[in-house]
Amino acid sequence: MAGRRRGRIGGGVEVLDSIYSVVALVFILVACVELGDAATAVDVYRLIQYDIAGVPYGSRLAGLNHHAGASFFAPGADLSRTVVMMPVRELNLTFLREYIISNQPLGGLLLLLPEKVGNRIVGKIKSKDDGLMRNILVELEQLLIHANIPYPVYFAFEDDKINAVLADVRRNDATGQPPMATTGGYKLLVSIPEPKRVSSPTITNIQGWLPGLKGDGDTNQLPTIAVVASYDTFGAAPALSVGSDSNGSGVVALLEIARLFSRLYSNPKTRGRYNLLFGLTSGGPYNYDGTLKWLRSFDQRLRESIEYAICLNSIGSWKNELWIHVSKPPENAYIKQVHESLSDVANELGVTIGIKHKKINISNPRVAWEHEQFSRLRITAVTLSELSAAPELLESTGGLHDTRDSLDEAAVYRTIRLVAESLAKHIYGHQGRNIQIFADNSSLAINPFYISAWLDLLSRAPRVAPFLSKTDPIISSLKKELSDHTVELHVQHETIDGMFSFYDSTRATLNVYQVASVAFDLLLLLALGAYLILLFSFLVLTTRGLDDLINLFRRPPSRKVKAA
Amino acid sequence: MTVFHFFNCAILTFGPHAVYYSATPLSEYDTIGTSAKAAAVYLGTALVKLVCLATFLKESENGNFDPYQELLKVLINFIDVAGLYFALTQLTHRNISQNHKFQAVGLGWAFADSVLHWLAPLWVGARGLEFTWEYVFQGLEANANLVLNLSLAALGSLMWLRKNKPRILIPIIYACAGVLATMPSITSYLRRALGWQPAKAVGFELFSSLMMAFLSWQLFSACQRPA
Repeated sequence: MAGRRRGRIGGGVEVLDSIYSVVALVFILVACVELGDAATAVDVYRLIQYDIAGVPYGSRLAGLNHHAGASFFAPGADLSRTVVMMPVRELNLTFLREYIISNQPLGGLLLLLPEKVGNRIVGKIKSKDDGLMRNILVELEQLLIHANIPYPVYFAFEDDKINAVLADVRRNDATGQPPMATTGGYKLLVSIPEPKRVSSPTITNIQGWLPGLKGDGDTNQLPTIAVVASYDTFGAAPALSVGSDSNGSGVVALLEIARLFSRLYSNPKTRGRYNLLFGLTSGGPYNYDGTLKWLRSFDQRLRESIEYAICLNSIGSWKNELWIHVSKPPENAYIKQVHESLSDVANELGVTIGIKHKKINISNPRVAWEHEQFSRLRITAVTLSELSAAPELLESTGGLHDTRDSLDEAAVYRTIRLVAESLAKHIYGHQGRNIQIFADNSSLAINPFYISAWLDLLSRAPRVAPFLSKTDPIISSLKKELSDHTVELHVQHETIDGMFSFYDSTRATLNVYQVASVAFDLLLLLALGAYLILLFSFLVLTTRGLDDLINLFRRPPSRKVKAA
Repeated sequence: MTVFHFFNCAILTFGPHAVYYSATPLSEYDTIGTSAKAAAVYLGTALVKLVCLATFLKESENGNFDPYQELLKVLINFIDVAGLYFALTQLTHRNISQNHKFQAVGLGWAFADSVLHWLAPLWVGARGLEFTWEYVFQGLEANANLVLNLSLAALGSLMWLRKNKPRILIPIIYACAGVLATMPSITSYLRRALGWQPAKAVGFELFSSLMMAFLSWQLFSACQRPA
């Protein structure tokens, strides 16, 4: 009886062995963990990462895998393993500045921008809130761009999903339990390859040439007038830097002026005796590096034939006053001429033009205005802008606040009117006369729909130069448009000045997971163990009887005793 | 904790089968062969059911409860019963008593059912970072299914293997078997047409399976009295 019993138990042990091996195999398979579907997936945009002359700036990390927190002050929270989610309008900038400058540890920062309500707001809705938000964004951007942050910083737009997550996280924080590995909560995950340096960031300069009317027997080169605008931007979130005002407005003005003059020049009877050169330059934020390289590519004759150049920079949100910035003294004859022709038209329109003089310091590498690059090559040039003071490096280059609704289309219209009329009066020799060449309701009227359409397009295209490839759609659109309005188009590709280097990975997807704590699973395991033991005992009791149950726990009789 | 959760849910889903096998005399009589054969028959039955479903059932566009389709599904569920009949009567088993035969067949059947239904979703879903109660509920459902299948096997063995049954009990036996066979349809009706919450539906399943098990046990012991 005992022998047979042992045989049975031996058979049972074999079965158990095979089960163990299957379980071991399962464990090996289970070792490769996959990530399932997240509760929420959100588009996020990374803070820019760049170096100037080897000095690092911006956020130096991209991957994110930490618990979510809602404030810096949660008691007992380990901030180095927390991602703080915060809407921008509730940000305390002085505290953030202190925190960043003193290099305090943080797992990551997720800043929530106010909801995108479409790309345009009809009319001039400039409420106090908008103005406040604009100031906060400007200050925040300047803080983040010039700091060296060793953890990932991301921007996202507020929407229902992420607001719900934020409310939940706040509630968890309020109960006093900090989010850690054992207490559950939300986990934020961005899986993105480590950022690599962009190997040769290219800038693309596009120029269009409208030749003037050469009379018979006219052997001299006709004089040239240049209209230039830089089209690229720089901002804290390169995937969001659409730069509607700086300098989308300038680009649109240039395109419209090109269109008007191409109509005038298409008929030899109305073609003026000046060549027109339109230049869309890149590399603006980096001390107008692109403009310099573009000018250097000119041959001597062309350079000498340029009578003057007008550079357009941020002309999209001014009311009554526009500024001309010059580097030659205002008493200079050429400058005076340009100023007067612009002022004449300005008086007709009822606006004023001020003049600001900033001397060039050759030893200072900082180039604040585009016309300075012309002046360094001794070409007369002015910059027309709504900004009254010269911006610092990487300031006013189109950032988070510079979106479609910060523009006033009427301002762009007025600027185009100003520049086009004064150019036409100069070209056709009608200075001082009371003529409107581009009058409304004429065949040469300025087209507000054209302006509006191009502003919309530019406000949807982020244009940070190192992340624009040579064949980017916006560059192709600009090339095509300028070639439609000009006779000869020329494209120049260069690389950005070696002092600046950039790193990629500008946008990613954030996955938000609601996780249960380890404690919960431990409890569940205990409960299951208890349940199975109960089940086992119950079944043994009912089918075999109490004696068998007790026998299970008694040690089997020693075999040595049996054998003896 | 994700792999941990998968492990927990797997224990909940498949543990009771192993516990049942080792706790009852089934392990002593080494009936694993019978259970394995029953599992194979279940696989065959499942295949036949799928083919029938694919052939006869139309895809409903709006996911509403269509009585005609549900009736078809109930009829197809009877193929289950046919498969169980085949497993109980047609296969050659070793010499084990009636008592243990139905338990072994029921256990094998239920184990194959659990594996086919729940293993794949568990593997894919429970290992993710996201936490839901879904897989715990699935485990409880698997437990209820085990009990249901054992009851059905018991009644099946009563119906087809036992020759001398008390006259009065026969219609009750058939009625209980019918209820058990249609239990999956009843639960799906409750879930979809009445829109019960998962917790409520699982609770109902557990309760009803225990009731049916009790009933079957009473019937079985009642039939065993005339020895």
